[in-house]
Amino acid sequence: MAMRDYAGDKESFKNFFIDFCQTDEDGNKYFKYSEQLTKVAHREQLAFVVDLDDLSENNEELCEAVLKNTRRYTNMVSDVVYEMLPDYKHREVEAKDALDVYIEHRIMLESRNHRIPGEMRDPRNRYPPELIRRFEVYFKDLSTSKSVPIRGVKAEHIGKLVTVRGIVTRCTDVKPLLIVATYSCSACGAETYQPVRSLQFTPPPACTADECRLNKTAGQLHLQTRGSRFQKFQEIKIQEHSDQVPVGHIPRQLSVYCRGETTRRAQPGDHVAITGIFLPLLNSGFRQMVQGLLSDTYLEAHGVTCLNQSDESESPEALTEEELAELAVDDLYTLMARSLAPEIYGHEDVKKALLLLLVGGVDRRPNGMKIRGNINICLMGDPGVAKSQLLNYIDRLAPRSQYTTGRGSSGVGLTAAVLKDPFTGEMMLEGGALVLADQGVCCIDEFDKMAETDRTAIHEVMEQQTISIAKAGIMTCLNARVSILAAANPAYGRYNPKRTIEQNIQLPAALLSRFDLLWLIQDKPNRDKDLELAKHIAYVHQHSSQPPSEVRALSMRLVRRYIALTKRTHPAVPTNLTDYIVSSYVELRREARNSRDVTFTSARNLLAILRLSTALARLRLCNEVMKEDVAEAIRLVDMSKQSLQHVEDNVQRGVSATDRIFAVVRELAGSSSTVKIADVIERCIDKGFKPDQVDACIEEYENLNVWQVNQVRTKITFM
Amino acid sequence: MHDFETVTPEVWRLNEKSWKEKLMKLPNWHRVPLINCNASHNLSDGTLARFRGMVQDMHNPEFYFEEFEVFNTATNEVKTKSGKYTDTASILENEKINYTENLKSAQRQTMVVVSLPGLNEWAQKMEDDKNHLKHLEEQPNTSKRLNTTKLKRSYDCDEDVNAMEVEDDSGKKVANKAENIIEKPSVVSREHLLNFPLPDVASKSCIIKIYDDSENLKINDMVEVVGFLSVDPALSGEFQGENNSFLEPCVETEVETITHNPPPSLVPRLHVVYVKKLEHCNPLVKDGDQENLLKEANSARDHLLKALTELLLGDKLAAEYLICHLIACVYLRQDTITLGQFCLNISNLPTKRYPNYAKQLYDVIKQFVTKSYYLPLTIENMNTMALLPKKDYDCNRLTSGILQLSKHTHLVLDETQMEQGQLDSSGVNNITALGNLIKQQKVEYDFKYYKMEYDSDISVLILSEGKSLLPSDYHVPLRPESSSLEIFDAIVEAATYYLKEEIMNTIRMYLTNLKIVKYSISENLQFVEEDFIEMRSKSDTENPVTADDLHRLLVLARLVSLSRGLDTLTKECWDITKQMEEDRINRVKNRVASTL
Repeated sequence: MAMRDYAGDKESFKNFFIDFCQTDEDGNKYFKYSEQLTKVAHREQLAFVVDLDDLSENNEELCEAVLKNTRRYTNMVSDVVYEMLPDYKHREVEAKDALDVYIEHRIMLESRNHRIPGEMRDPRNRYPPELIRRFEVYFKDLSTSKSVPIRGVKAEHIGKLVTVRGIVTRCTDVKPLLIVATYSCSACGAETYQPVRSLQFTPPPACTADECRLNKTAGQLHLQTRGSRFQKFQEIKIQEHSDQVPVGHIPRQLSVYCRGETTRRAQPGDHVAITGIFLPLLNSGFRQMVQGLLSDTYLEAHGVTCLNQSDESESPEALTEEELAELAVDDLYTLMARSLAPEIYGHEDVKKALLLLLVGGVDRRPNGMKIRGNINICLMGDPGVAKSQLLNYIDRLAPRSQYTTGRGSSGVGLTAAVLKDPFTGEMMLEGGALVLADQGVCCIDEFDKMAETDRTAIHEVMEQQTISIAKAGIMTCLNARVSILAAANPAYGRYNPKRTIEQNIQLPAALLSRFDLLWLIQDKPNRDKDLELAKHIAYVHQHSSQPPSEVRALSMRLVRRYIALTKRTHPAVPTNLTDYIVSSYVELRREARNSRDVTFTSARNLLAILRLSTALARLRLCNEVMKEDVAEAIRLVDMSKQSLQHVEDNVQRGVSATDRIFAVVRELAGSSSTVKIADVIERCIDKGFKPDQVDACIEEYENLNVWQVNQVRTKITFM
Repeated sequence: MHDFETVTPEVWRLNEKSWKEKLMKLPNWHRVPLINCNASHNLSDGTLARFRGMVQDMHNPEFYFEEFEVFNTATNEVKTKSGKYTDTASILENEKINYTENLKSAQRQTMVVVSLPGLNEWAQKMEDDKNHLKHLEEQPNTSKRLNTTKLKRSYDCDEDVNAMEVEDDSGKKVANKAENIIEKPSVVSREHLLNFPLPDVASKSCIIKIYDDSENLKINDMVEVVGFLSVDPALSGEFQGENNSFLEPCVETEVETITHNPPPSLVPRLHVVYVKKLEHCNPLVKDGDQENLLKEANSARDHLLKALTELLLGDKLAAEYLICHLIACVYLRQDTITLGQFCLNISNLPTKRYPNYAKQLYDVIKQFVTKSYYLPLTIENMNTMALLPKKDYDCNRLTSGILQLSKHTHLVLDETQMEQGQLDSSGVNNITALGNLIKQQKVEYDFKYYKMEYDSDISVLILSEGKSLLPSDYHVPLRPESSSLEIFDAIVEAATYYLKEEIMNTIRMYLTNLKIVKYSISENLQFVEEDFIEMRSKSDTENPVTADDLHRLLVLARLVSLSRGLDTLTKECWDITKQMEEDRINRVKNRVASTL
């Protein structure tokens, strides 16, 4: 392998620092590195950061070389900067600390002593460069480079720049680390410098200055702490994130050495991304003696960034090819709904609703008014129908979520509490579950068991998405942009369809109407479904795997990532759909008036439909709501209502689908005697009938001569 | 064979492949000394040894020098050496390692293996008989090890740590060493170093270093490893020199160093050349063909049923369930489903009359199964014991907990010991952990900043007076016969007499074999489907029939068939199963009624 032309590289760096400039939006040129150099020269900035993005734009090949042998290039850039600094120094810098004064003195002294005419000697030469350089060089990794899992950092990464993510488990105190040791000789007074490059060093045995050497006095050397240069040093340990650990393995750790400006960036428990050079560390002392054959490794930090929980969800990372292939199915909506809690069989509509809850609708803020986009859902049902399991699953799936039970949480525990600090006596706000779940999901189990007074605290959250506090002199408003997923048991152990929901769950209408969807889950024996279930379970036991015909559930991680992706679109409802939505809503209202309604149909339902349809559009990653979305939203709302009226259906079992369709047509016709078939079909599909049922109905009644159908079959005319 | 007694890492390295092949063909494995059964101080450094145990912890990988050069200052010779399969560089006095060039680094994985937790006495004894090598004790070969260093401290198994005995040839060194110990109050205890999941049980542990990346070992796997022993006393972290903390920032704490470098006499190092994952640890079981195993099943089952029925005071149904419990193991884990778990709760024990009934029952069970642990569920135990493994960041290792058990371990929880009292937060956590283990067969390890779930396969048997406070898959209230109740002590005696060694061994083999036998269900499961639909139609709110019930029935049916030596599901077995469940459910219902 040919040696790299390091001298050439050095020159390239120099030119790069001088020439590199960016043009900002206003068209002003901004010389990024020249500015930095000026600042460094004036001691206003310690760190000199080279962004590899800039370098790769300029000189891709050099950038690659840097990535592969970062340590060497760090030193090279350090040299380059050092050489360039005097050119950027526009004014005298006043000495900042004792070391500055010290260095200044030495340089002056040196230049005086060696003022030999004709010799162009740099007076700083005799001193180790580390002593005089008061800046630090750091590389910033390419923004395109992917972080390496800690497990993946192996021997082949030695000497290279890598970026890892993890959680900080331990931080040492920041300690001074000796960079250059300065000694003075007790006999001749000469000073000796010793650059220290590792963690340990051995002081030189005797003075090596000319005077001592010639006189053979062997003067004793004394360490001068004031003349030595120290650097901040901190060791941190990071550990793999739980999702990077293969099943059945223990998370691995990595030591990171932070120097200078990279210290004090993180604390135990922080999620961090660290860019650094992976280096071996030779042991010394005990370890060298015993385990001379081992080398520890560490990462020399070049940049430490704290990631907060929400950033860390990896949303920016694009989906991989395989993942895309997995997602590229016709009916992604159904597939994803099925992937929620796959161990719970059936309940597809409930799962669809939960999926939409996770995706969420779009927040709207027209002229200061705030319309929430979060979808609230309440699940009701007899004991033992997997409500809690569903809640648990959603809690695990959602990136931000809080799980509480109604009995165990008070209104204060849910919203926020004002606490008095025992030391300062100041009042502090402590967020409750709803505040902590901001921009996430708050799952509340046993919602009905909550005390009445505590429940009222939720009213505000559910509509305004804020929590107002006026307690003990603190008046404030906290954000609580949460979706609430509640589960409730019927009041008397079993849902009684003869009563209203309020009576059944003993929740006030004001609260219930705030839920976009109320769902009653019931487990009724049904021959066909039971057979299906039995077959499914038998298959699992027979073949020790899920039936192949079924779509394999997507992994939790993929669902989570896809949902994160959907949140980036903000679909709007196009104007041409408003008529459709309005008419559907009017229809809903009318129906509610006519039939014995157990639920409340109010303007909130209209909002719910809008929220659900925007969520559906989001799920398609589409920026516009389509008619199908609205239709599906209406279907879900209708289904949720039907689930509550479930038992009535049983009463009307005698009434066939045909009869019910007939009723729909009658309703649609109203006073006029003609109805368009297209309208009929649309309306019937909203109500969950199939087109062929509608056709059958039309034909049947045509034969009975109740109505006539025109020849092109577009209109029905009542006789 | 004698080759393997003398082979050294250097010789092995020269021709790794053929050595490994030879090892595979080795007819008598047990001639390679097993550290579990032979005291490690009888084995010499750098020879092949075996260790059997459970992977308890995984450390960070180590970078070692696969190839390096040494320079002999006396002869000016340059030699290439390797650090593979060894901890210490075998360099002579005037040789120097060249740290600057021609170094080749490679990675090896370090793991802590502890002897199988809960391994019962009989199995241990059998292993000892088979693997104990007498000749090792007869020829003390400590000479080699004494040469390498001048210090040697022996931790013998029955020796107290505090009264550490320091052996040496010169008295001066002893005194020197003693001072050192006083200086360092942070010398950690033996238990701390061994880090065994179960308290109060003698154990051995071993640090293994794996060179082959493809060995995908998981935590809690049962393994048998063959490797080169490394017991150089200098490896102990206690001998580390003082650090100057001013000049040298201390990277590792002292506790960490000691924990990671325990004295090799206590925790030997093994440089692994071959890893065998174990499916079971029953010394009686040999790999036989399935048909024979199944043929013998019925007679073994009869013996077992007879004994258990007597011990369960004449309750045959409970005995049937107990047999199913003993042969159950998790056989399918996919996505979120776990199938095969069989947590049995036997309630209504005659504790008034025989307060130690549960313990007595356990004493018999442990004679049958290879690995088991008896945990009295007292308030105090729950509040003080560490059930869940926890990462200790001070020592940088996974501190074990009782629930860190390898697969097919039987955990017997004795709830009859529970009395009223206050559970503190750790007690509540422990109870939750047990609940999770029972319901999902998952144990949550605490990594302080997050928790991680690990799959487990531990059969839990709960013995209680009333219905247990922990969940269970199958709850059987015991229905003792009054005649048996009178003479229980005599029954125990008779049972011990009846269960002769020979019968015992049949039962032991039976229980282990059935866990590894393959089982299939024929295509036609019409009768199952029909029955389920019928059950559903009969279900009402008081007795809901759900999907879980069908899962439970199918798991039970599998075990009922297996226990009878059938490897497929037949209609008869299905009917037996249904009958069993019906009887059981009736019992549960009636019991509730009687207490009301």
